[in-house]
Amino acid sequence: MTKLQNKVAELFENGTINLMIGFKNALTNQPVPCFIENASQAELLIYTPECKNNLAVYLHKPEVKQSKKIGIFGNMATLRSIVQLTSENQFWDIEKTILTIDANDEVIVFANMEELETYVQENFPDISEEDLKLLAYLDSLTREERWNYWTEQFTACIKCYACRAVCPMCYCSQCTVECNQPQWVKVSSKTSGNMEWHTIRAMHLAGRCVNCGECGRTCPAGIPIHLLTARMNQDLFKEFGTRPGFSTKGEYALNTFKVDDKEGFIK
Amino acid sequence: MTKKVLSNNLSGNGINTFPMELKILTSANIPTFFNNLLQSGKVVVAPVLKKNGKVYFESVESYDQVSTDYIQTVFSAKSVVFPKVEELFSYTKKEDGSVEITNDMSNVPETVIWGLRPCDSSAFNYLTEFFLKENPDSYYKTRKERTTLISVSCAKADDACFCTSVGLNPGSTEGCDILLTAMGDFFYTEVMTEKGKALIDAKLFTDTEEKSKEEFLAKINIKFSIDEVKERIQNAYESSEWKHESMGCLSCGACAFSCPTCTCFDIQDEGTTENGKRLRCWDACGFGQFTQHASGHNPKTNQTARRRQRLLHKFKYSVENLGIVSCVGCGRCIRICPAHLNIFENILNVTKA
Repeated sequence: MTKLQNKVAELFENGTINLMIGFKNALTNQPVPCFIENASQAELLIYTPECKNNLAVYLHKPEVKQSKKIGIFGNMATLRSIVQLTSENQFWDIEKTILTIDANDEVIVFANMEELETYVQENFPDISEEDLKLLAYLDSLTREERWNYWTEQFTACIKCYACRAVCPMCYCSQCTVECNQPQWVKVSSKTSGNMEWHTIRAMHLAGRCVNCGECGRTCPAGIPIHLLTARMNQDLFKEFGTRPGFSTKGEYALNTFKVDDKEGFIK
Repeated sequence: MTKKVLSNNLSGNGINTFPMELKILTSANIPTFFNNLLQSGKVVVAPVLKKNGKVYFESVESYDQVSTDYIQTVFSAKSVVFPKVEELFSYTKKEDGSVEITNDMSNVPETVIWGLRPCDSSAFNYLTEFFLKENPDSYYKTRKERTTLISVSCAKADDACFCTSVGLNPGSTEGCDILLTAMGDFFYTEVMTEKGKALIDAKLFTDTEEKSKEEFLAKINIKFSIDEVKERIQNAYESSEWKHESMGCLSCGACAFSCPTCTCFDIQDEGTTENGKRLRCWDACGFGQFTQHASGHNPKTNQTARRRQRLLHKFKYSVENLGIVSCVGCGRCIRICPAHLNIFENILNVTKA
C-alpha cells in the first residue's frame, strides 16, 4: 500500500471520513475520478501527474453530499477551487478532509483551512507557457480578427455544457440558460447563441475562475474556452490585485464595491 | 428509397447482407475517385484533422484535406441526417392575417459521408429504424435518401473500441453503401447497395473475387458477451451498482451528442408573434432538465437515474422497441467523457452475476 492508501484507510477506520474522492486506474488505463466507501477499497487510489480532473466539482453533487464526512484528494487545481469555494461560503453543509501529495511525495492532511490556504499560497502556479502564448497571440490580433477567431471557435460548440459541468465554480442550482420564462439564451446551438452562452459563462466566472483549465481540456469541440476567463483574470489582477483561489477570505471584483475603486472606464 | 438492412446486432434475427459487387480500387486512384465525387456536385463530408490534434467530420473541398490516419472521429456523422439544429418550418404572419408556413427541404444537398468506420455506418441502420419505422420523419427521410455512406474498415483500434462486443467487427458492412478495406497498395471494395453502385466508375475500379479481410483488420478483444448482457440487464434496474457507476457523472451532454445512435431531441420555437421558426435541437438524458415536467416534477431526480436511463436505453429499451442494441461500440463516449466514465465497464458492473 502506498502512503496515500494507508492514510485514507486510516481516515476511514478512525471515522474521520465515510467517502473519499480520489483517482484510480480505469480499464482504459487512464486515471479516473473514483469514490471510495471503505478502508478496504483504499488500495485503488493512485496519484500521478496525469490525474488532471478538478475533483472539487464533486463537492456540489447531491449524491456525494449525502455522505456528509467527505475526504477529497486535491491536485493543485482542486485545492485552489476549495479555497475559492470557501471564500464563497459553499461548504456549510459538509465536513471535509482535504489531502494532497507534496513535491517530496509526502501525504498531507490539512488540519484546517488556514493550513490549506498557506499551502496553496506557497505553491500558487503561474499560468502555463502554452496558455500565455495563446493569450499573447489573441492580444496581437485586431479586434475584428479576434472576433472572427472566437466566432469560428463557437460555431463548433455543440452546447453539451461539459464546460459548465466540470467547473467547480458553476454551482448554481438553476443555470441562466435553463430559464425559459424569459429565455435569456437560446436553446438551439447556433453561432450567436453559442457566443451568448460562452460570454455569460465567462462573465459569471470573472475573478472567480481558478484557472484549472478543465473547461478547455474537456471541450469535445476543442475550443480553448479557458482562455476567456484566464484573460479576465490577468486584467483583474492588474486592476484590483485579486487572485481567485488565493485566499479563503478573498473578495471578487465584480461582487464588491470600494469608494476608491478605479473608474477609468467611465468617460 | 434507402435499402433497409437490419444490422447484425439485432437480437439474433439480423439479416446477413452480401455485397452486390466486389471491386478493387488502387490506392493511387483514391484521390481521383474522391475528387470525382466532389466534381459531380455532391457535398463530401470526411474526417479532417483539426489544429487541436483531433479528427472531426467536415465538409471538404479536396482529398488533400482528408485525414487517413485516425482511429475514430470525436463526433459521429449523424449530424448529416440529424443536424444539431434542424429547422422544421418557419412562419410569417401576413398583412391579411393569414400565416404562411414554409418548410423547404428541396435544397438538402446530395451528400457523401466518406471514411465512416463500420460501427458508424451500422449506427445509421438504427437511426433509420428509429426515425422511419412508425410515423416516418420526413426530415430524416429526405436527408437519408440524399446521403451515401462510404465506410473504411479499421486497421487500428484503441482501448475504447468495443464493436466486437456488440455483434459488429472492424470490417462490418452493415449500413454502408460501399466499404473500402485497405490491403496494401489497393482498397478491396464491397459495394453493398444500388446507391453505392451508382458511384462506381468503371475506369477506376476493376472486378475481383471475394477476399478475406481478416489480416487487414484491427484486433479488438471481446469485452462482454452481448447475449449474457441482454439477459442479465432485464433485472438490472434495481441494481445497487448504478449509484456507484454513476458517481462520476457530471450531467453534461458530451456522451449523447457524440453518440452515433442518440436521437433525443427538444422542440424549440424561436421568434415572435409575427414570424419565427420551429427548431429541433439535440437533447441529452444526462441533463437534469431532460425529464422535467411542466408542473416542476422531475421523475429522474438524480444522476444515477439519468445514467441508468442512458445505458438501459442502449441495451434494453431499444431491443424491446426496435429489436436493436443501440450501442455500436464506437467508444466515443468513453474518449470524450470529462469524468472518463466507461460504458462497457458500467455495463459489466451492473450486469455481473
